[in-house]
Amino acid sequence: MISEEKLRILTESAKYDVSCSSSGSKRANEGGTGNGYAAGCCHSFTPDGRCISLLKILLSNDCIFSCKYCMSRADADVPRVTATPDEICELVMDFYKRNYIEGLFLSSAVVKSPDYAMEQLLCTVKKLRTEHGFFGYIHVKGIPHADEGLVRETALYADRMSFNIELPSEKSLKLLAPQKSKESLLVPMQKLQRDRTVFKEEKRKGHFLPAGQTTQMIVGASPEPDGLILRLTQSLYRKTGLKRVYYSSYVPLVHNSLLPDVPAGERREHRLYQADWLLRFYGFSAEEIVEDDGNLSLELDPKCNWALRNLQYFPVEVNRAPLEMLLRVPGIGARSAYKIAEARRYATLTFEDLKKMRVVLKRARHFITADGQFMGERRETAIRGLLAAGETAEEARQLSMFSDLETARSALTGEL
Amino acid sequence: MIYFYDGSREAFLTAFVLAFRDPGAVLTSGSAQLAVGQETCFVQTDANRAKKAEQRLISFDKNCMHDLNTILKSGDANRDMVAFNYLHLVAEKGMPVRSMLAEQAVIAADECMRRVKLEIHRMHGFVRFMESASGALYAPISPDNDIAEDLLPHFRARLKNFPFVIHDVGRGKAAVYDGEHTFTAPLKEAEVVLSADEGAWQSLWRKYYESVNIPSRERLRQMRAYMPVRYRKFMPEFN
Repeated sequence: MISEEKLRILTESAKYDVSCSSSGSKRANEGGTGNGYAAGCCHSFTPDGRCISLLKILLSNDCIFSCKYCMSRADADVPRVTATPDEICELVMDFYKRNYIEGLFLSSAVVKSPDYAMEQLLCTVKKLRTEHGFFGYIHVKGIPHADEGLVRETALYADRMSFNIELPSEKSLKLLAPQKSKESLLVPMQKLQRDRTVFKEEKRKGHFLPAGQTTQMIVGASPEPDGLILRLTQSLYRKTGLKRVYYSSYVPLVHNSLLPDVPAGERREHRLYQADWLLRFYGFSAEEIVEDDGNLSLELDPKCNWALRNLQYFPVEVNRAPLEMLLRVPGIGARSAYKIAEARRYATLTFEDLKKMRVVLKRARHFITADGQFMGERRETAIRGLLAAGETAEEARQLSMFSDLETARSALTGEL
Repeated sequence: MIYFYDGSREAFLTAFVLAFRDPGAVLTSGSAQLAVGQETCFVQTDANRAKKAEQRLISFDKNCMHDLNTILKSGDANRDMVAFNYLHLVAEKGMPVRSMLAEQAVIAADECMRRVKLEIHRMHGFVRFMESASGALYAPISPDNDIAEDLLPHFRARLKNFPFVIHDVGRGKAAVYDGEHTFTAPLKEAEVVLSADEGAWQSLWRKYYESVNIPSRERLRQMRAYMPVRYRKFMPEFN
């Protein structure tokens, strides 16, 4: 059994990675323990409001790289520990059968060399799958500059892999993570994506990253504007076929003249996620949301902002507007849009009906008519004032975004 | 009239037939406040009538019995009327009504079913097994809705090689997988002898839980919204 102290160190060095999802894989239990759960499953929640789904842990924090922002960088004075693949396997199996976790999220510092670190990761997941008969979810972090063959073999055992882009521009990467290059991150992602497509097309036996790839970037450690971050995100979705891009607002753990001493606002991170949802589920493009060199408004959410810039499209009649347009109405999320589209087949909907159906009208009323009736403001400045005032009054609520059941659920499904 | 029935599906369907044309019908399987002079009826299950009602309802909507089962599992005191009004509307319209989302009866049924399903989904994550000396797993739960049985398929699929018992402590029933079959049985109290390592694994899990938190980002309201306090009773990380 791994010691509590080792577990603590390896967990604390892994916890700033934000990816937590266990969704997207339907791997079946072929006679052992565990299976995939396509919708994903949260097993616990910590006081910081984040969920515990996977056992998020490093195999080692003993790093030869010196990324300026990282607490495990080579020149940092921290205790170094390395777990054995067997220790990790045992931990996963015993946590999993008690239903503490949905699977493993395994990462590692670059211990000894990129190839050695990757080899250790591969060895661990291979053992889990073959010796322990584990069929639960496994997410493995790719090590930049590691051998291509090792990366590809790991993909045969993992449900998901991710290479972290870390910083949104090459310049910042050079400055803050000098041993990582843009190519060492993007090329393996593209190769994996190609291999995954071939694997699927040829209908080969077994699995190759059934839950795809994700990545993560740190926001606020370097000067890139939101416009650039979102354009990069969009190209990762469209060209590299990533499932998700995570943003991690910068927390100063390290003092360095190249890094800001203040944490990036969590509001900014929140706005980026809202914009990310608009890209993935609401049919928006990055260009519509924010100009290339601009930042998202902290005051209003990106959908409201877009609508206020495009008032010529509004108000729309909820009984006739196509679903794509309903999705663009501020305050109407995917669930509400779907409910409206269903209900209006049987009856003409009024504001009274919308209220009964729990469609939130606080923002939407300025942008819709229901059975010809309009209940909002028409002037942009007036709407802006009302909406912004509403946001400040609800500051606390906004910051802990999901304070009631309804919003908590919508956060799970990603409505906005 | 108030119709008392025993909470079973057959009795419900019998009551449904009896109350169908009564505009002031109140169905209940629990207790009800009686107004002075209010008439009451204690429904005797009539298998024949129930069967006929079921067939008729299925001819309108082949999935409505599934909805009924879900609603009757709800812990909501109002569940009987929610089910009654919903099936009444199915019978009135003579077709599936689940997409008529502006109808009060559908909104109530939809909400009720969503709560049951949400709790099943949540419990897939929140159940905590303990390992007994024999190797079998034991998990006490106390859910809002009567869902112990609905947890069986999920855990059976992933824990094929581990017999387990999920014990709804409040309702005094257990959902059991004996390594081969699943079934439910009444169970008031259980005495479990834990394996030698159980305490150490729980303690390791607490250590993990504590280490993975980022203390500078406290979001207790958000945490509560995702995981209401009542679910934490049987989780080692909170005890």
